Amino acid sequence: MIYGFNSFLLLLLAAPIVSLLCVKVKRARALSPIVLVAALLTGVATAAVSFWRGDPLSLDLSRFTPLPFALTVDRLSAFFLLLICVVSVPVVLYSASYIERHYEGLRRDGLWILLPAFIASMVLVVTASTGFAFLFGWELMTLLSAGLIMMEGDAGQRRHNIFIYLLMMHVGAAAVVGAFLLFLPHAPGLTFAAMRTVAAQMPQGMRTAIFLLAFLGFGTKAGIVPLHLWLPRAHPIAPSPVSALMSAVMLKTAVYAFVRFGFDFLGTGPAWWGYLVLAAGAVSGVLGVLYALAENDIKRLLAYSSVENIGIIFMALGAAMVLRAYGAPSLAALALLAALLHAINHALFKSTLFLGAGSVSDATHTLNMEELGGLLNRMPVTGIAMLVACCSIIGLPLFNGFVGEWLAFRAFLGGSTLPPIAPAIVLPLVAGVLALIGGLAAACFAKLYGVVFLSRPRSEKAEHAREVPVLMQLGVALPAAACVLIGIFPAIVLRPLMTTISELMPGTAMPAQATSIATVLPWLALAVIAIVAVVSLVRRTVRVTATWACGQPGLDARMQYTGTALSKPLRKVFSQVYRPDRAVNISPAGQPYFPETISYRSVRTTSFERTLYRPAVDAVVAAAHRLRRLQTGNIQVYLLYLFLALVSLLLFMRFL
Amino acid sequence: MKLLLDIVQAVLLVALAPLVRGIVSRIKARIQNRQGASVWRPYSDLRKLFAKEDLVPPTASFVFRLSPVLLFAVTVAAAAFIPVLHASALLGTMGDFILLAYLLAFGRFFLMLGAMDGGGAFGGMGASREALVSTLAEAPLLLALTAVAVVAHIATLAGIVQWTLQQDFFRLSAVHALAVAALALVAIAETGRIPVDNPTSHLELTMIHEAMVLEHSGPSLALIEWASAIKLNVMIALLIALFAPWGMATAFTAAGLAIAIAVYALKVAALAVVLAVVESSVAKLRMYMVPDFLGVACALSILAVVFTAVMR
Amino acid sequence: MGFVDIAAAKTLASSAVFIFITLLLLASAKRTRTCIVLFSMQGAVVTAQILATAYVHRSAEAYAVAFLVLVIKVLAIPYLLLRIVDRLNMPREVKASTTSAQSVFITAALILLSFLVIQPYVRAFNIDEDMLAAAIALVLTGCFLMVSRKKALMQVIGLLVMENGVFLAALTSTFGMPLVIEIGIFFDLLMGVFLMGLFVFRIRDTFDHLDVSKLRRLRG
Repeated sequence: MIYGFNSFLLLLLAAPIVSLLCVKVKRARALSPIVLVAALLTGVATAAVSFWRGDPLSLDLSRFTPLPFALTVDRLSAFFLLLICVVSVPVVLYSASYIERHYEGLRRDGLWILLPAFIASMVLVVTASTGFAFLFGWELMTLLSAGLIMMEGDAGQRRHNIFIYLLMMHVGAAAVVGAFLLFLPHAPGLTFAAMRTVAAQMPQGMRTAIFLLAFLGFGTKAGIVPLHLWLPRAHPIAPSPVSALMSAVMLKTAVYAFVRFGFDFLGTGPAWWGYLVLAAGAVSGVLGVLYALAENDIKRLLAYSSVENIGIIFMALGAAMVLRAYGAPSLAALALLAALLHAINHALFKSTLFLGAGSVSDATHTLNMEELGGLLNRMPVTGIAMLVACCSIIGLPLFNGFVGEWLAFRAFLGGSTLPPIAPAIVLPLVAGVLALIGGLAAACFAKLYGVVFLSRPRSEKAEHAREVPVLMQLGVALPAAACVLIGIFPAIVLRPLMTTISELMPGTAMPAQATSIATVLPWLALAVIAIVAVVSLVRRTVRVTATWACGQPGLDARMQYTGTALSKPLRKVFSQVYRPDRAVNISPAGQPYFPETISYRSVRTTSFERTLYRPAVDAVVAAAHRLRRLQTGNIQVYLLYLFLALVSLLLFMRFL
Repeated sequence: MKLLLDIVQAVLLVALAPLVRGIVSRIKARIQNRQGASVWRPYSDLRKLFAKEDLVPPTASFVFRLSPVLLFAVTVAAAAFIPVLHASALLGTMGDFILLAYLLAFGRFFLMLGAMDGGGAFGGMGASREALVSTLAEAPLLLALTAVAVVAHIATLAGIVQWTLQQDFFRLSAVHALAVAALALVAIAETGRIPVDNPTSHLELTMIHEAMVLEHSGPSLALIEWASAIKLNVMIALLIALFAPWGMATAFTAAGLAIAIAVYALKVAALAVVLAVVESSVAKLRMYMVPDFLGVACALSILAVVFTAVMR
Repeated sequence: MGFVDIAAAKTLASSAVFIFITLLLLASAKRTRTCIVLFSMQGAVVTAQILATAYVHRSAEAYAVAFLVLVIKVLAIPYLLLRIVDRLNMPREVKASTTSAQSVFITAALILLSFLVIQPYVRAFNIDEDMLAAAIALVLTGCFLMVSRKKALMQVIGLLVMENGVFLAALTSTFGMPLVIEIGIFFDLLMGVFLMGLFVFRIRDTFDHLDVSKLRRLRG
């Protein structure tokens, strides 16, 4: 199997080289996507075998590098490798057509060079087994994704957004590097095996520091509130396939890294670690979906929805840590199962949604919901795939999102059996928060789907939309089909995942009937399909005619509810969260009762920007201003500094 | 034999749903000093609608015709989870009350999509109001069911019913009192009765569910009406099964089954009277007071969950 | 006889739950009449509790106390209050400064607080935990009602609920006070309600409303 892995890596690395060569040889353009797809299919096969059968693979390249550099594929890595490859295949198929249609020349070539390199960097992150390899891949991921975003252009606001993205990613990377470096005195070479054995013996304060740094660093990359600010800025401005990869796959590498640190290296920690992660996840989930509800730009809505789903994953991870700390390892395994299953579910339906958004933008040249409508009749395949993805993300039964949420509910419910009062109250209440998040997500995606795909087109652009080429349709349909498959037969993914988790937390058995849902779902699907079939056969004729609509003739598109109107009641109820800055200007100012123009402006900035980031940035700038006084420009003052440094160094050596 | 009884339970829940609705309307009419229509009126309504043809707006997509069918199918599937005559149901699994809640959400989602596909203003209006009510009703529903499941130490509906059957009626636990209060409030919100929504009004100001079904006609409308009646029946059956299941058949004898059916009919009649009295005596809430109403349900269900640990 | 035994035991076991329910309903009630009816129902629960205790401990004094509670708290005081409400002819709604949902959340938190607070005493003195928690919750909720409701009549009801709580606490921890003291307390209560009724009319005649927040005009 090692040959499979090696050939996968070779093909993956060959793809950007092929693209580089194709810059010169124009006729072989189609070669780069073919090589990339071949590489990814090899990867799927290798990862699938490793995941199902559990044979570990490893590749040691330390001979060629100054620091230890090795790749190992154990079951957890195999799972995430499978996730990356399975999601990348439809994305690459999609881009084969999308990139041709939208980019040319340098941009086109740049995308085909950077895309496989980006995928390779993510593969490096999840398979690395030394600190150096991991950090190398981590940094490469950030730089390559920024490069891919820049392929779309870097005018004005985009440059600002890319800057914020790079800034926050590097702050997170600093925390991650810090977490690794704290292992340094004990585990030279920073190999994962050494870190695993050493972490159990480190003093509690050190372990807490590592945990906090890891949580901060990986949380920034994953998009936990309040470190999520870069997500809605970076994901919407990237090209659609890149957005899909970033949202569906890159965020999961952060989840992988957190699971590696929290469950593999650090093992069982105190309960407050779990409560912290649980709280952060709950807040991210609720705020993410509330902000998504208020958005009218499709991609920004999907970006905030990613924040929400990462919040759900971290809620499950936090519950697992709490359950483990209180000595209920089988329930903790159930919660971890929920988190990992939700990771792959989210990867599948989020990639469908982003690719579908790309198709919509391709067909109508706009991503503003208020200008769309009626696209289901004009783009049937994309529309149906988006419907499946919307049902999955809400967590409706018979689609894959439900299974992850069901497992999470069971884990939270199980927490009520613990003897101490705190988790017995907190964990079931968190189940209520999950229910609230589910309800809000339903409202959000009913708005998205209803406004964009149903009823009448709200503008010329939507009126003239046409279905996208076959490859793009395929790219959207494949993950959607996987969503339905996992939704009805979840045992396909659940059984190997349970083995993975028992490897991660040795000695724990799953609670009885952990996957009992897998027996009911096929029957439920059968029942629903049977009833639908029977009823459809019995129904009578259909007449296409204008409906009642209060007797109004000539309904036009302006009679429909807009996206803003659909979310208004919920936004009003949760107004404490939104708090937009509103300004009403009546001109001329001296005549309030006979106005000539009235302008209304409502700007929504997330409260974190106002209360957390702005003061932090202002403090840093103020400190910098004060430090500026050191820079006098007078050369004798600089010589004085040198002299003072020399004197203090001598004193330090004398009195040490 | 068990399988036969389970199937009969589910079929009864589905087939007799319009009758329950008819009974509630008749009692309401009597309270309001009117003659009222016959209790079999909903059946003749359904027959009339099934005989008509489906009118579809030219701009609608296949979702418009699919959503009533899916709504009906999922609601019938949901009815298969509730124990009615004996402590077991056709479909059941660990945590099946979560599946039940999400099946109802499935139906509601497609109802909202079908409404928006109609192309008029009413559909969107109904969908946005329904989104408000259903979002806020999800958390109290799941928390109240969670509280009951935690007290019974078992997470299947059939298991909870079996546990309750062995308990003493008078040992009223605070958890159950709070949970039944929360679930009653949520049931009113979910089934769209006064004080949350008026099922008989067609005024723009007061419609929530009716606004969503305004554009549907013929068999589609029949399916939606039937599904909403099944939903009411399912919520009533759920309340009875979780909080007052005594009288259910424990053995498959003819006498036991007869008693079970009679006792169940009595309980449904009692709840129908309660619902009719509540609907006739309370005014419908203004829409932005509904979050307050559901907030009370949420507080009650949170208190129920906390009490499961405190009063252990 | 067996049935009465069972009934007494069940009452003792579950009256705390009924008191919590009436507290939550009081918090969410929107009309003054509803609050008065709920107060009367609380009095009925307390009567049942005393009767059950009287039956179990075979104490004649307790029967007398139960009769007094029934006459005064379940019948006389609510009747007086309802008559005042009728004569005042004021708007029916309770002017609360918190919404229904917020009031219910706060009341729920107060109930939990009362459970938390009595933990050391329950173990030390072997008292029925539920009833003592109900008593403390009554006092706290009565105080909360006085704070958050702006109608003068609601202040009266809040005070009465607090008195209910104190009475119940005395009942739980010491099995009642001597009969003479009980009679004295009830008489004081009745006089108190008469006086408050008079004052309410005075306030209404002077200011033409019953909103206690507007009484600030009285300050110099």
